[in-house]
Amino acid sequence: MTPRASDQPGPETQASTAAATESADLRAPLYVAWQVTNECNLACLHCIEESGPGKAFRDELNDAEVFGVLEQLMDGDVPYLSFSGGEPMLHGKFFEMIEYVCGRGGQLKIETNGHYLTHENCARLAQLEVKAVQVSLDGASRETFNRMRVRGDFDCTIEGIKRLREAGVPVEINFSPTRFNMHEIGAAVDLANELGAYSFYTGKTMYTGNAVKTWKLLAPTDDQYSTFFATLHTKTDEYRGRMRVYFHEMGLLEELRYRLRHPAALLIVLPNGLVKLLNALPFVCGDFRRQPLSEIWANFRRGWEDPRVTSFVEDLAVDSGKTSGLHKWVYL
Amino acid sequence: MKLAKYTKFREEKFGGVLFETRSEKVYSLNASAAAIVREAVPGIGEDEIIERVTRRFSSPGNDIASEARLFLADLRQKGLLED
Repeated sequence: MTPRASDQPGPETQASTAAATESADLRAPLYVAWQVTNECNLACLHCIEESGPGKAFRDELNDAEVFGVLEQLMDGDVPYLSFSGGEPMLHGKFFEMIEYVCGRGGQLKIETNGHYLTHENCARLAQLEVKAVQVSLDGASRETFNRMRVRGDFDCTIEGIKRLREAGVPVEINFSPTRFNMHEIGAAVDLANELGAYSFYTGKTMYTGNAVKTWKLLAPTDDQYSTFFATLHTKTDEYRGRMRVYFHEMGLLEELRYRLRHPAALLIVLPNGLVKLLNALPFVCGDFRRQPLSEIWANFRRGWEDPRVTSFVEDLAVDSGKTSGLHKWVYL
Repeated sequence: MKLAKYTKFREEKFGGVLFETRSEKVYSLNASAAAIVREAVPGIGEDEIIERVTRRFSSPGNDIASEARLFLADLRQKGLLED
C-alpha cells in the first residue's frame, strides 16, 4: 500500500481543516471547544453566548468536574482544545487547567477579550506553551471597538496583545463585523499584522444571543458585506506568507447544510458540561456530568442524522429568525 | 526526525491523522502512512525509520523504502516533520 496523507482517496496530498474534517470514522473528536464559564467582564452587543457580568450559569461545572472532563479528553487522545467563555481568564482554575492540558501534551488555544493580559499572565501563558491566544479585536479604533464591546477598552486590548507578543505567545485576532465597524476591516487586518498576529479570523455575525436584541444596530447590509469580503480577498493576497487571513463568506444556512452532510470532528462544551452539536444549533448531544466521552462522541455522530436537526436547518430557509432561540436547548 | 512542534498524531482504525494545529489543517493517513509516522514519533533518524518500515512492510516488487522516503520528504515539506 502506498503511504499517503490525504483527506480524499487518490494520489493527491491534500488537507482539510479541523472544523471540516468529518467525524464518521474517528474514534474521538479532533477538537474540543470549551466555553469554560459564561461569566464575562464585558457585555458585548453581539455576544452569541449572552455572556456578561453576573452571567455565569448557576450550574457550571465545579473544579473536580472540570478536571474530570479534562482527564477524559486527554485520555481520549483529543489533540486540540480551546478555552473560551464568557471570558475564560475569569475562571478560578484557568491557569491550572492550562497546566494540565499542556502538561499532558494537548495543544490549547485561549479565546479572550484581552482585558486580563498583564505582564505576569502573558509570561505564564508563554511558560505553559499555549498554542495561541486569540484576542477579539472588533475594530481598528477606540470609537468602534468601545461601542461594540460594552465596558471594554480598545487601548487595554491593544496593550494586552503587545504584552503577549513581548512574552513570545503566538497571537490570533478575531473580528466580528457589524454595520458600524466593518468599514475598518482593512485597517483592522493591517493592525493585526502590525501587532504581530500570525492569523486573522472573521465571518458573518450571527443573529443569536445579545445580537437578537441589538440587531438593528448591528446588521450589515448585503452591500456592506460585499465590500467587506472584497477587502478581505485583497488583504489575503497582501499578507500571503506573512499572516493568514481566514474568513467565511458562507451564510449560516449554507454552512449548516454543509455540516449536515459533513459533520465536523468538533465538540462544543458548555460551562455546565452539556455538549452541543454546533454553536449555531440548539441541539444538545451529551452531558459530561452523566456520560463518558465515548458515549457523547457516539451520540454526537448519531445526532447529525436526527430528523429534528435536518428539519431545524431546513426551517431556517423560511425563517432565519429561528437562530434567536439557540439557548433553548433541545436534547437529542 | 520528529513531529513538528505544532503537529499531533493520532492512530485510527483506517490509519491515522496528523493535525497541524497552527494552521488547523488535518491530514488523514492510510495504514502504511500511519505506520511510518508512528516510527517518526519517538524522534529517530530518517534512515532508521526507513529501515524499520522496510523490515515490516517489504515484499517482492514493492519498493517501500523509496515510497517511504518520498512520503517523509512530503511531510517535511508541509512542515509536519522536522529534523
